[in-house]
Amino acid sequence: MNHSHLQVDALTLSLGGFCLRDIHLSCAKGEYHVLLGPTGSGKTSLMRCILGFYRISQGALYLNGKEITHTLPEDRHMGYVPQHYSLFPHLKVEGNIKFGFRSGKYPFQNADRIVDRLCDMLQIQHLRKRDVRFLSGGEKQKVALARALAIQPDIILLDEPFSSIDEGAKRSLWINLKAIINEIGITAFHITHNLEEAYSMGERLSVLLSGELHQSGPKEDIFERPATQDVARYLNYRNLFSGVAHAHPEGARIDTDCFSVVLSKKISPGTRVNLCVRQQDIKIVKQDNAVKPALRHNILHGRIVSLFPFPEYCLVWFRVEGSTREYDLEIKLPPYLRERYKLFAGKQTDVAFWEPSIIVFPD
Amino acid sequence: MNRVFDAIIWGTAGLLILAFIGLFAGMLVELGQEKVLSSPDLGRVLFAVKLSLFTATIASVFALAVSVPVAYLFSRHTFFGKRFFDTLLDLPIVLSPIALGAMLLIFFNTPVGKQLNHYFGPFVFEVKGIILAQFFVVVGLSLRLLRATFEGIDEEYENLARTLGYSKMRTFFRVVLPMAGKGIISSFLLVWGRSIGEFGATVTLAGAMTMKTETIPVAIYLSFESANITGALIYITLLVTMSLAILFFVRTLKVGTI
Repeated sequence: MNHSHLQVDALTLSLGGFCLRDIHLSCAKGEYHVLLGPTGSGKTSLMRCILGFYRISQGALYLNGKEITHTLPEDRHMGYVPQHYSLFPHLKVEGNIKFGFRSGKYPFQNADRIVDRLCDMLQIQHLRKRDVRFLSGGEKQKVALARALAIQPDIILLDEPFSSIDEGAKRSLWINLKAIINEIGITAFHITHNLEEAYSMGERLSVLLSGELHQSGPKEDIFERPATQDVARYLNYRNLFSGVAHAHPEGARIDTDCFSVVLSKKISPGTRVNLCVRQQDIKIVKQDNAVKPALRHNILHGRIVSLFPFPEYCLVWFRVEGSTREYDLEIKLPPYLRERYKLFAGKQTDVAFWEPSIIVFPD
Repeated sequence: MNRVFDAIIWGTAGLLILAFIGLFAGMLVELGQEKVLSSPDLGRVLFAVKLSLFTATIASVFALAVSVPVAYLFSRHTFFGKRFFDTLLDLPIVLSPIALGAMLLIFFNTPVGKQLNHYFGPFVFEVKGIILAQFFVVVGLSLRLLRATFEGIDEEYENLARTLGYSKMRTFFRVVLPMAGKGIISSFLLVWGRSIGEFGATVTLAGAMTMKTETIPVAIYLSFESANITGALIYITLLVTMSLAILFFVRTLKVGTI
């Protein structure tokens, strides 16, 4: 896991009005890397550059330390699972899986054994003689995966592989796919716009927004410490504020439009600072409970404006006292706390931030 | 309002279908009546049928052989002047076949045309001329049909084949052609049917000579010219039957999976 298996170096691509700018990205051998970004951010274009379908304007691509910038797609030895699987409708399941062997590039002696093993692993032995047009979304995905893996590629690239699958079936398929990829030990580069999918599957994530790579790193870093306000906004973090630093004995006090927070790190007075507090990092302070020391500097008094109960969490809109906005903070709580703290719209309460969870962005 | 709309669409369709049925019925009634002067001999009918089938088949095969790569190019690539060339290649679809035949006739009077005559033998007033005239009339249609076929195939299949080690050429033969099979066969049949019915360009370039350049449409023309209505009706019936058979076959065409 030490050296880069796939490396994208200062890649630039111009496609009419859209461009990818100065993309630097690397995947270690055996890593499951997820490229995350909204629709239209350039994820598929970047994948097409890696696959060799787009000629890049600048930069270089390396696979296994070998430059592949100008290598033809058929010589890159990359497995590809397209968004809608693109199973050849004129071939049966087995014909699709064996399709790569007939290219003349992969004359494996043990082709049948490879197909057998893949069919066993993916549990699609019973589908081998079936017409691909009548498979379910999950079955198509497995056949597409088997077809891509049959040529024993150096890396597998998956383009939104769950976009054609029912919402309910997705989660178990995430786990299945990840387990299969891990078992094979192949490097995977997966693109998606789905945050949960990215978090569940990726070991490392890269966030691509409007053709620019904003952040790349372990998934925990991306979700806990987004590098830019744009990344935080994309991750659905609603509590984004801008304020000015003032001197404070603990470090610095940041005054925003509607409240102040205290940070332990030193920031020069007068500096403009952008802050983010994740919804799940804001705590409701129960009146008769003692406040934990880590929370005591950042307690805000106000009123619950609205409550939105969801099966997995309860969303609370909170307005700080004196504020004229509809709401200032969005808070995500475990559903049981709604009952335990007797929360309702209009209730006056205190909320607190744990100081280390406050994300400070460079201005 | 909904009833009025339904009445318009159903009524118009009904009238149009009635008009066609009327045409066929009139022809059959006329054929059944005994007010004809003479009927063509069987040998002449067979000659016209054989010549029509032969020339239409050769012209359609050539048209398809040329159209497949050109239609694929236009469906997959963007290049300078594409819109102009696309319009130019569509010209035979809208141009009067007589004008097209006249253009060919004029071309064979140019030095290049004379050279072609020298190397390949005469085209004017010859069977080769029929094939050439039919080719130029149907190639535009062939291009249009095949382009629609290729555009209906998602390019992602080709991209995928490339990642599995297939070159562009192998991808075309192993992925595009099998997937376009049904469209190519349908296009061939429609082009073939159009070639069999071609008259204007044929008569201009190859002339209307009995038992020489006498395709079915030319035979209809010659029969009418000599007031041989029964002969014309026999040829028309043959042409209509062949055309209907082709259209029926195209509509019921099914290509199974391999």
